[in-house]
Amino acid sequence: MSANTSGLVGQSVKRVEDDRLLVGNGRYVADVNPPGVLHAVFLRSPLAHATITSIDATAARRAPGVVAIFTGSDMEAITHPFPPFAMQPDLYTPLYYCLSSTTVRMVGDPVALVLAESRHLAEDALELIEVDYEPLDTVASIAEGLSPTKPQLWEKANGNVLYDHVHTFAPGNESVDAVFAGADRVITERLSCPRQSNQPMETRGSVVEVDPDTGHMTIHNATQSSHMLRWIGAALTGKQSTREAAKGIIANKERRKAFLAGAKSFLKENAEGLKAQDNDGMKSQLKADKSFLKHANLIGVGLLGKDDYPDVVAQDIGGGFGAKGSIAREDVALIAAAGELGRSVKWIEDRVENLMDGGQAREEDLTLSIAVDDDGTFRGLKVDLVIDQGAYPGFPVGAPLASAIMKVMFPGSYNWDAFEMRSRIVATNKGKYVAYRGPWANETWARERMVDIVARALKMSPAEIRLKNLIGDDQMPTAMITGPKIDETMSTKKTLERALELLDIDQFERDRDTALAENHYLGLGIASYHEAAPGPPGYWECVNPGTETLLNEEAQATVETDGSVVVYTSQMPHGQSHETTYGQIVADELGVAIEDVKLVFGDTRRTPFSILGTGGSRGGPIGGGAMKYASRAVREQLVDAASKLLEADVADIEIVNGNVHVAGVPARGVTFAELIAQTAGDGFEATRSYRGKGDGGWSVATHACIVDVDLDTGKVTFPRYLVVEDCGPIINPAIVDGQVRGGVAQGIGAVLYERATYDDDANLQSATYMDYLIPTSMEIPEIEVHHMETLSPGGENDFRGVGEGGMIGAPAAITNAIEDALSPFGARITSQYLPPTKILELAGVISPD
Amino acid sequence: MTDTQSSRLAAETATGGSIVDVSFTVNGSATSVTVEARRTLSDVIREDCELTGTHLGCEHGVCGACTVLVDGQPSRSCLMLAAQAEGRDITTIEGLAGPDGELHPVQQAMMDAHGFQCAFCSPGFLMSTVALLDENPDPTSEEIREELSGNLCRCTGYQSIVDGVERAVKIMKGGSK
Repeated sequence: MSANTSGLVGQSVKRVEDDRLLVGNGRYVADVNPPGVLHAVFLRSPLAHATITSIDATAARRAPGVVAIFTGSDMEAITHPFPPFAMQPDLYTPLYYCLSSTTVRMVGDPVALVLAESRHLAEDALELIEVDYEPLDTVASIAEGLSPTKPQLWEKANGNVLYDHVHTFAPGNESVDAVFAGADRVITERLSCPRQSNQPMETRGSVVEVDPDTGHMTIHNATQSSHMLRWIGAALTGKQSTREAAKGIIANKERRKAFLAGAKSFLKENAEGLKAQDNDGMKSQLKADKSFLKHANLIGVGLLGKDDYPDVVAQDIGGGFGAKGSIAREDVALIAAAGELGRSVKWIEDRVENLMDGGQAREEDLTLSIAVDDDGTFRGLKVDLVIDQGAYPGFPVGAPLASAIMKVMFPGSYNWDAFEMRSRIVATNKGKYVAYRGPWANETWARERMVDIVARALKMSPAEIRLKNLIGDDQMPTAMITGPKIDETMSTKKTLERALELLDIDQFERDRDTALAENHYLGLGIASYHEAAPGPPGYWECVNPGTETLLNEEAQATVETDGSVVVYTSQMPHGQSHETTYGQIVADELGVAIEDVKLVFGDTRRTPFSILGTGGSRGGPIGGGAMKYASRAVREQLVDAASKLLEADVADIEIVNGNVHVAGVPARGVTFAELIAQTAGDGFEATRSYRGKGDGGWSVATHACIVDVDLDTGKVTFPRYLVVEDCGPIINPAIVDGQVRGGVAQGIGAVLYERATYDDDANLQSATYMDYLIPTSMEIPEIEVHHMETLSPGGENDFRGVGEGGMIGAPAAITNAIEDALSPFGARITSQYLPPTKILELAGVISPD
Repeated sequence: MTDTQSSRLAAETATGGSIVDVSFTVNGSATSVTVEARRTLSDVIREDCELTGTHLGCEHGVCGACTVLVDGQPSRSCLMLAAQAEGRDITTIEGLAGPDGELHPVQQAMMDAHGFQCAFCSPGFLMSTVALLDENPDPTSEEIREELSGNLCRCTGYQSIVDGVERAVKIMKGGSK
């Protein structure tokens, strides 16, 4: 068949989204206002850890405009707790309700929900609710989380360490300890990363619209996964007894069938993967807490016996960076409240709430030991990781998944004889830890920081030691020591070589000398890594058995009778420009203009089922793959119909600009609408499910930056920042550049500006943007992005994700550059957070405290 | 009693009587509203005027997403009370494009430059840019970065936005796109 593509893939096509977004016609959740909607606000705990001895909402209920108030115990009567998800051996996941009723575990813990005729009136009423708290001792740090003398956050846990597991990988004849004993040197350092926050510019929000006639709910929400929200929203609300549920099961057959239909093909596609779920994880959970069984039963039967199921409609979303992949406790409370009242409710989180409870991340202590020979050959790596999960586990993914990915990715792109990692997760009285753009990113930060420390100890250059140990093409195909397969798409070494070519080291050395005259110190830092985007086949089985099923994406392509092309994705765009990139893919496959492709997303009534929605760098490779194959199947149907109509061989049919014709005679062609009309068809449709086909799956980059450290002020600037990235074939270079730069900007923020700060009693100190500093256009430099497009041998749909990498590489390159700049002072950088005071301390300009 | 009077009475009962009448112009249209004194200009723009293109990112005056032009000056509509808009001329993102839908040069330039991603911050950036170029039609790259440092974007790393402003300068000077 001739190619017939319009050639949009690979071009910086202008964004389809901008037609509405740049003129103020976007439709974000705050813009949704059903008639008669009630406005919701949450009363939140001012204390980090306390027992609630009484809560009295009598006066608040009488306040003007107040329609209803729900306390924690009200919610326990009508909702189920969040269940554990993706259980792992030695992990305990505490169960918790949408509102807290007896114990608060963090500042901002929601204890009551007020619904009133306006937001102002709801906030007025908040102040009238009287809560008596009995303060408890707090757990405010990782050290306190590990301490056996601190009070326990969760009754059924064993202390505050909720996970403690050692993973060992020593494929050769020697044990990890033997490899370490046999190496010339062992170098150890303890590194720490303070707490950060995703901070999308749009906060969280939900509008639960209730049809006044039928009671049917439509949930408008800023979510990264509308199907997940639909299922969890349905599962955890409308609590009923087993007997009531049984009656419902008999009565609601048709509605239930419709609800389950979406998931049916998913279950079919993933039957094997689901069987591979790790039963040892379940055993660990039940050993600590059997209550999950009772709840699971009620949740399951209740879900099947529901009278009705909500729909979710998500439209424009103002960023997420992982934070909106969690199901919010607030969402469950709102759905339950709307169900009880039979009225629409709306909650738009404010920024202070978002900084408290909208998602925090990355707080980890990491002790690394590298066994290395004197010639710089890496032998073994040992890691001791502790993650501060905060008070409540993110649902569905949070610290346990980050730890599981780190376990696989820590060795990076280097050769090792042995690797061992101890992972612990502690509960503390802080905001919940969620996935944040490259949730495992601290493996790259800590490893690349450590590689520099080792290089310094061995008096080698950072580039030299990396080049010596990186896995090269001559070793491929091979596998990481932790299992995942590696082919040429793991091009880390090549990106480093390219970055070294692009850097003018001699000029840098000259500039460094010149800067000294003005008390400025220049430094050069590099970091190289590969990331699963979303990883080669088998990757996710190495992370956690059964999770491969989460990857699946489905797409539906249609040509309607009027000839219009409408495609449906289970992806949930929130800034990644899916309408443009999928438009490019579909336009190329079908031979139409991008303007003629309409993408439907976010609406569970119309879009195919997926668990994750958007997350995990799957939009290009998996969602894009499903889209490509669905539209290719429709193309085959079009060509088949045209070959009959035009009495030509299918091989001779071309589609150009929506004109279907025999090659060379476009004048006698037909439009899609004419083709459908003349063949008496009712349109074309194809659905394809996809989760990668051995197409590599690695996204790769080297970051290199030059920093300028001003020792008068402690300010760090960037004379140069460059990224050499390899995400395979690029769909839209401008969009890829934007993703990379945005990620780097968040990495710069993480190192120099941003910190979710708590005091010794776990009181949040960074509850506004005056204290949590998001970098501005004055702080983020120009970022050069250079592309390599390594193709996978035999890969067909070779796109790889690029949304997370910028954030993964930046903290390592920046902290390495700063240590290099401050090397005249013998500075050793062990923290990822380096505000001006810390810089001046490291240089000995001021003394600590 | 008219509907307006009765709703005013209800509102005054609910809020202790702090109700004000405010008249101003929004995107060229004369507008009069009766609002609680505590309501912000952004509340009124989004709810009463139903112009939801103006966004609220932080509601404490840092992020700049709510920026609108008040008598041509960029202003944080989340920090202004609606009552303070009495007699003023307000321009929001919806007022930038021409009556036939023709994009303002700043909008066109941002589209050409792939300026934004999630675009939640874009109304603020666009309004700040319009004000900047009105005062300084040919800013340097440093001036652009400084002027836009009152607006936060979490997606882009700003480079594409600065590129967009530079393109807008060219368009407005009548140069090539």
